Amino acid sequence: MSYQATIEPLGETIEVEDDQKLLDAALRAGVWLPYACNHGVCGTCKVDVLEGEVEHNEASSFALMDIERDEGKTLACCATLVSDIVIEADIEEEEDAQHLPVGDYTGKVVRIEDLTPTVKGIWLEVPGDGIEFQAGQYLNLNVPGVEIPRAFSLANPPSEKNVIELNVRHVPDGQATTYLHEQLKMGDELGFTAPLGRFFVRKSAPEPMIFLAGGSGLSSPKSMILDLLENGEERAITLVYGARNQAELYYFDLFSKLARQHANFHYLTALSEPADTDDWDGPRCFVHELAEEHFGKRFEGHKAYLCGPPPMIDSSITSLMRGRLFEEHIFMENFFTAADSAKPARRSALFKKF
Amino acid sequence: MAAKPRRLNLTQKYQLMTRGLDWETTYQSMDDVFPYDKYEGIKIKDWDKWQDPFRLTMDAYWKYQAEKERKLYAILDGFAQNNSQLNISDARYMNAVKIWMQGVTPLEYAAFRGFAMLGRGFRGAGARVACQFQSIDEMRHYQTQMHAFSHYNKYFNGFRQFARIRDRAWYLSIPKSYFEDAVTAGPFELITAISFSFEYVLTNLLFMPFVSGAAYNGDMATTTFGFSAQSDESRHMTLGLEVIKFMLEQDEGNLPIVQQWLDKWFWRGYRLLGLVGTMMDYMLPKKVMSWRQAWEIYWEESGMALFNDLARYGLRPPKYHEVATKEKYRITHEFWCTIYQFSHATALYTWIPTEEELDWFSAEYGELFDTVYRPRYEYWAELDRKGERFFQKRLPVVCNVCQIPIFHTMPDDPLMNCCLVSEYKGTKHQMCSQGCKDIFDHEPEKYCQAYIPPQQIYQGNCGGATLEAYKEWLHIKDEETGEYYGSEDHIMWEGWKAQSGKPADAPA
Ligand SMILES: Cc1cc2nc3c(=O)[nH]c(=O)nc-3n(C[C@H](O)[C@H](O)[C@H](O)COP(=O)(O)OP(=O)(O)OC[C@H]3O[C@@H](n4cnc5c(N)ncnc54)[C@H](O)[C@@H]3O)c2cc1C
Ligand code: FES
Ligand SMILES: [Fe+2]
Ligand SMILES: [Fe+2]
Repeated sequence: MSYQATIEPLGETIEVEDDQKLLDAALRAGVWLPYACNHGVCGTCKVDVLEGEVEHNEASSFALMDIERDEGKTLACCATLVSDIVIEADIEEEEDAQHLPVGDYTGKVVRIEDLTPTVKGIWLEVPGDGIEFQAGQYLNLNVPGVEIPRAFSLANPPSEKNVIELNVRHVPDGQATTYLHEQLKMGDELGFTAPLGRFFVRKSAPEPMIFLAGGSGLSSPKSMILDLLENGEERAITLVYGARNQAELYYFDLFSKLARQHANFHYLTALSEPADTDDWDGPRCFVHELAEEHFGKRFEGHKAYLCGPPPMIDSSITSLMRGRLFEEHIFMENFFTAADSAKPARRSALFKKF
Repeated sequence: MAAKPRRLNLTQKYQLMTRGLDWETTYQSMDDVFPYDKYEGIKIKDWDKWQDPFRLTMDAYWKYQAEKERKLYAILDGFAQNNSQLNISDARYMNAVKIWMQGVTPLEYAAFRGFAMLGRGFRGAGARVACQFQSIDEMRHYQTQMHAFSHYNKYFNGFRQFARIRDRAWYLSIPKSYFEDAVTAGPFELITAISFSFEYVLTNLLFMPFVSGAAYNGDMATTTFGFSAQSDESRHMTLGLEVIKFMLEQDEGNLPIVQQWLDKWFWRGYRLLGLVGTMMDYMLPKKVMSWRQAWEIYWEESGMALFNDLARYGLRPPKYHEVATKEKYRITHEFWCTIYQFSHATALYTWIPTEEELDWFSAEYGELFDTVYRPRYEYWAELDRKGERFFQKRLPVVCNVCQIPIFHTMPDDPLMNCCLVSEYKGTKHQMCSQGCKDIFDHEPEKYCQAYIPPQQIYQGNCGGATLEAYKEWLHIKDEETGEYYGSEDHIMWEGWKAQSGKPADAPA
């Protein structure tokens, strides 16, 4: 059994399990709420309940006083839901978020292509009005025989509403990705929920943009960059992409061509472990190292968008921050798998987003 | 009809009532109006980039704090009327409360003064407002603690003449010097020392064990003010985080300065917490968690997770944190062994732990405890049985920086005393550790002026050059010092328990 919580002023709706704490559900759904102690004594996570009812559980009577309870406040770290709710939290509204409605769709497989030995391109046709999304967002895909839907970012630009593209990396032993790589065939139908996530270009911000992507993390940046260029973007855009070896480097021709056509678009690639047979005289390093070299370890004055597996995101954040680009200018989509979320999180409350 | 005015949201309201009231001065230069926020070398390019860590306005503040007070005093009244002092686990426990009142509560008052200074000192209005709120919070913490303790003062020794004890007791220079060091630094160092190093990094080691220890030992008065203070703590901690991020993001030249402060205040904070750890291990008859375990959870896990995150700014974990981790097996025992020998010169009682407690230590601390400290306690217990309870005849040499008696041992040798010496302007200064020595050597001109009570006492500046003369000057009576067993507190407790029909040592 679960309830829904809508979080204002974001307008984001999340699922909260019966015995799950509101804060826990929000953080897991990628919605950051302020918190510190996480056990009901400090009051940092106080929110206003605008609609619906919650149970305050072990909230301290000083951190959440009776008058506050009467005023409809609760501590997100302790609260469980007894109905669907709407809350207001002390968080910033995002100017560039479009708040597109989330819907359930069915798509027919119209094209499957091996982009690399481990990444398949999968194109799904969505008839009728198609689907509206913001470049960078993802969908939750229902894969036959797999209980929980899996997240994949949309790789096509939002202008292509009727055929969407996914870039799916095969995760060894992964239930869903193994199915998609080994059993999926043309004409199959797949259900999905979209659009999801808060990874999108802050178009109203004046700064030039850096995209850092690794592995199948090219999907979102591809959509975002195509969208920007289609709409006549004039600010400098730099895509730094890293793959293991040449066979894993995909869409090289597409981005090389775009770089030739658009003076403001720069495309950099590096291989971390080129194969002996690779014909490669480009940089041999990780994405973040290539970015450091290109920007001379100074990232101040940019907006950065990061996309890919957790270790790549992690090193990239450190490079950016050492190069004096801080949290408010960094946006990311972490391609978590079940293996990552099973690892104990050893983080502090220092940063809101990472 | 005019449109109904829209209700302001939190952010707008806060903006209007804080930064909106600020202005750039014109009759006087801003540097003259805010003369202290530059000389430490911290460069701030744009105070507007300060992210307000919480958006609280004065009207809401008064309303909520007043409610907290009402609630707290209702509980304290009930506590007094029901003679709830009878519900504590054992009268030995009261010594933990005495340490808190003598050593920690004055720090709340010092914090009130420090934050009042900061509330005037920073040129950014957001930072000033946050510090002003905190200043009032700290005054409230100080007052509510005093009020909570005043009930215990009716029955137990060690609580009277709090102000004089705070000023004159030699051992209280340990906590006092910590804050005095901070308030005599510049505003950025002060806020780093208190809001970040102390309240953010180390507060869990201070409040958590103390408050849950109090609850576990039946002390509802302390538990209640503890929760009441904790509810302000979120603001204090987020202020600490914001200040660190702000300094680091404003200018890269700030990094080495901040690093040096974190090194210094980690070590000073850690040394001070040794006292809390000792209280936790030895003065709580019902144990909550050993110091070793608390250190592992709150420092080795949470603290290191924080420093992993801070590494993104180029900060490294504080110097000598690995020494602190090595010391986790011994620091509280070394401390207790010291207090045990000097309690005749304090407004506290000490004792040899019970057999059962010694076994708990063995389990928590392992071989080192069994080979080094347990034999000491057995030896002293034997002396005590012969009527020769052991006390030192003279006050100890204390560290010139942390002011703790020089009892700590070498990082890799728990049997070798550690005493390091720096010479400055022809005078030798002793320090307890490399951590404290580094602090001295970085600012010798500051620390050579430290007021070191045992030295002052033996120079005759505190009522006379003998322990007896000093104790008279301190107005401390023999009945409120020394050995717990046979003390006034002990006898009174036994009497109460006899009346209520419960055996004295049974848990409440
Ligand atoms: C927002 C978002 C966007 C994404 N976009 C993309 C994209 O565009 N392209 C892409 O390729 N990937 C993307 N991913 C990653 C993708 O969702 C995962 O790779 C996918 O869910 C793996 O599913 P699976 O069923 O194949 O693997 P799973 O069966 O879920 O297993 C994944 C791994 O975890 C291990 N594992 C499973 N359960 C546990 C457990 N309980 N404890 C420990 N280990 C366990 C497995 O052995 C395996 O190694 C995205 C992820 C997110 C969160
Ligand atoms: S995070 Fe501290 S009360 Fe919820
Ligand atoms: Fe306080
Ligand atoms: Fe010291």
